[in-house]
Amino acid sequence: MAVYRRSYRPYSGSLTAEWSRFLVLFRYSRRNLFRSKFLTGFFVLCFFWPIICLIMIYLAHSASFLAKLGLPAELITIDNNFFLHMLTVQGVLAFLMTAFAGPGLVSPDLANGALPLYFCRPFSRAEYILGKSSVLGILLSQITWIPGIILFIIQCSFAGASWAWNNLWIASSIILGSLIWIAILSMLAMALSAWVKWRVVAGALLLAVMFFGAGFAQAINAVLRTDVGHFFNLLYLMAVIGQSLFKGESELAFSAGEAWIAILLYCAICLWLLMRKVRAYEVVK
Amino acid sequence: MNDRIVFEEVSKFYKEILGVNRVNLSIPPGITSLVGPNGSGKTTLMNLMTGLVKPSRGRIQVLGINTDDAENLFKFVGYSTQFDAFPRGLTGFQFIYSYLCLSGISAQEAERTAWEAIQRVNLVDAASRKIGAYSKGMRQRIRLAQALAHNPKVLVLDEPLNGLDPLARAEMIALFRASAAQGSYVIISSHILHEVDVISDQVILLSNGYVVAEGQIQTVRNEIQEHPTQILIRCDRPRELAAKLFASEYMIEASIHNDGRGVLLKTKDADRFYLALNQLALDGIQIESIAPADDDVLSVYEYLIGNEEVVR
Repeated sequence: MAVYRRSYRPYSGSLTAEWSRFLVLFRYSRRNLFRSKFLTGFFVLCFFWPIICLIMIYLAHSASFLAKLGLPAELITIDNNFFLHMLTVQGVLAFLMTAFAGPGLVSPDLANGALPLYFCRPFSRAEYILGKSSVLGILLSQITWIPGIILFIIQCSFAGASWAWNNLWIASSIILGSLIWIAILSMLAMALSAWVKWRVVAGALLLAVMFFGAGFAQAINAVLRTDVGHFFNLLYLMAVIGQSLFKGESELAFSAGEAWIAILLYCAICLWLLMRKVRAYEVVK
Repeated sequence: MNDRIVFEEVSKFYKEILGVNRVNLSIPPGITSLVGPNGSGKTTLMNLMTGLVKPSRGRIQVLGINTDDAENLFKFVGYSTQFDAFPRGLTGFQFIYSYLCLSGISAQEAERTAWEAIQRVNLVDAASRKIGAYSKGMRQRIRLAQALAHNPKVLVLDEPLNGLDPLARAEMIALFRASAAQGSYVIISSHILHEVDVISDQVILLSNGYVVAEGQIQTVRNEIQEHPTQILIRCDRPRELAAKLFASEYMIEASIHNDGRGVLLKTKDADRFYLALNQLALDGIQIESIAPADDDVLSVYEYLIGNEEVVR
């Protein structure tokens, strides 16, 4: 046995808060994402529609300007439907953004076998998933509920306190509707990314789940003469939730409660699939 | 704090497949090598030690810390995986720096510590290049830097010498020795048995998920009773010596060495044989050297595990 000098001294400096360490993943993943010029361009493009909406809000409160153009003052109404439409467009853009950005979050780590490197730190699987999903969460928030809320505040400043007070529920609908959409998109993209590993295929699968899901739902409804097939259609489920949150008037096949349960169930399934793949060990004999 | 890495009746099964079974170990400071054929459970043992997999049965403590207490455990443990695994697109520096940040070290401190680690593995010039452009040896070194950057007391290194050229190997071995000399625990798995033999303070031999032997290599060798000890004696008159040796009751077999300048013999009781040899030396045969010929890892490996795989 060697004679050891025992001069070892561990790191004794301060440590960052445990809760904040997932932000390291967020910073690196976000920087990687924005290396793509296409994604950066698309991200900028996502603000085009909110700017149009902003102009519409301005015009709606500029009767004299509309009169100069020879347009009636009631041409633009800023109400719950306005914000629902605004959010629907942004929701589609959020979906496309997820299809580009989501699959690249987990699959490279799995394909490169990098997970043990993360987990041989004081860093858990839950923190890993939180760190990766926060990239999509924050990115999609920037193009959905944040511009929505900014537009709502601007509308309040034009329309006055009584309008703001009477329509305060729209703000919560904007936030809640966006968050559930972001949650299902993030979970779905990451679960597909973890199971497929190939980034391009995972992106294509995300599109397929959305659009083939809708087709599959229609086929079930047609063959079985039922509405149950809509449960396989995420877009339809989100439409039901959107209609309920924004007090829309469209007739839909089932209640908002059922749609919420279905969406949360899908989120839970995606999370379960993700947790099964995001594991530390690299070798199973 | 307990000063050992302790496995108590540890078993790990991947569903119905055995990883390791009923492992009892108490690993002291120094360089410990895990030796065994592919699939013998070396990586499983390392993953258990670092808390990356949970044991199906039993208890593991690293310096008194349970392996599921990641926050405390990874202050003292650094792990370098076997596979060529890196998050995509990072430079060598970013790789070390980002994992230090994940460990909770502040940005400023992480930067300083990352450069120190990069210096230790002699990769300063390549630190700003992407890892994707590194040679295999450089990847191995940057992985090692990642493991030792936060100055852990326990370094767990899976096949750390693979892919390294002789010079880089010598540098790595010097690093392991320096860490061990500070009182650290350096746990290495390796197939390169002659290097294991040279660098290890103790070895753990694994086969099919079981610990076959553990301890200092000479001690392990002495406990293998069914294989007589081999001794090589260099002398001026080997044939005469061999003839005289056959008279000894402790001798089993003797043969003239290939180069004709020594006798390779087998004895069932080395200690008594050495005493008898003193008498022979007094009879006028000039003995140049006496050395055990099979108390190295390679021999012990062959005795205990056999030729389950080609030993490089």
